[in-house]
Amino acid sequence: MTTEELDPLIHVPTRLKIVATLATLPEGDALSFTRLQDMIGLTPGNLIIHLRKLEEADYIHSEKIKNGAAPKTTVALTSQGRAALTAYTQALRDLLGGL
Amino acid sequence: MNHTPDAVTAGNGGSFDPKQAAALLDQTTQQARRQLQPSQPWLLMIRAVLVLAALGAIWLSVRGQHPYKGPTAADIPVLVGFIVVNFAATVAVRKRAIAGVSGRSRFTEGEIAVLVASFVVTVVAMVGLGAAGVSFAYYPTSVMVIPGLAWAILAAARSNWREFATGLALIVLGVVGAFAGSAGSWAVAAVGLCAILLGNAAVIIWQQRRSVVRP
Repeated sequence: MTTEELDPLIHVPTRLKIVATLATLPEGDALSFTRLQDMIGLTPGNLIIHLRKLEEADYIHSEKIKNGAAPKTTVALTSQGRAALTAYTQALRDLLGGL
Repeated sequence: MNHTPDAVTAGNGGSFDPKQAAALLDQTTQQARRQLQPSQPWLLMIRAVLVLAALGAIWLSVRGQHPYKGPTAADIPVLVGFIVVNFAATVAVRKRAIAGVSGRSRFTEGEIAVLVASFVVTVVAMVGLGAAGVSFAYYPTSVMVIPGLAWAILAAARSNWREFATGLALIVLGVVGAFAGSAGSWAVAAVGLCAILLGNAAVIIWQQRRSVVRP
């Protein structure tokens, strides 16, 4: 097995942090954009770029909720995203076992 | 799905080797588990020590009573204060941990109603059993049975087996306390609650430190 076989969408430090953070939530739970940003330590613009990539691949799902005057965005890992992280983790195990 | 390299990937993950990825995955997961955990182990451990001290002190003051009269007037404000501070600290820490989290893990209004109802039913049952002359009606351990049952049912419905075990342990504590006598039930409550809180803290610490990569 080679590193090329690792999912390139997840095998990026920032996106790995995003997916790993969202994966700690139970299925059916979502995290607000601001809390995620706070936990990852990214600027809003940078986080949006990475979230867009993950959403295009259907790994995450974001939703805008009307919350008084300011709308609130929530982000959740999809079942596809969860499966991709599981596969990525298994691939890492295989690679590290072979190193 | 488009897996072609992009500017962000190239700039961020060009030399990202599997060992670094595994370390980052573990570190991020463990950090997120700690930050999003509604029951913080440090708070559980503090509560364990305090509950042992508070209920243990009451046991020391009542164990020599013949006949049994219950906690002294000086003990009651300390006990009530302990319960209020304990509840407030738990709610505050939980609120901070789940800030920004929405979805199934938050208590629904129905679940909150079940928990509140369990305390109301407990008070009614204790008064009813006390009036009927049942000896263990006012034992501190008897208070735990109905809320413990409600907690276990709600936790089982959510497949949260740690909380389910907590609910069952509270029921067991209530049953054991009923056989310990008026004064002895305070010691059972002190040691039992301390053990439940420490057990929860230990399980949470183990869950948080568990590696994602290493099986």
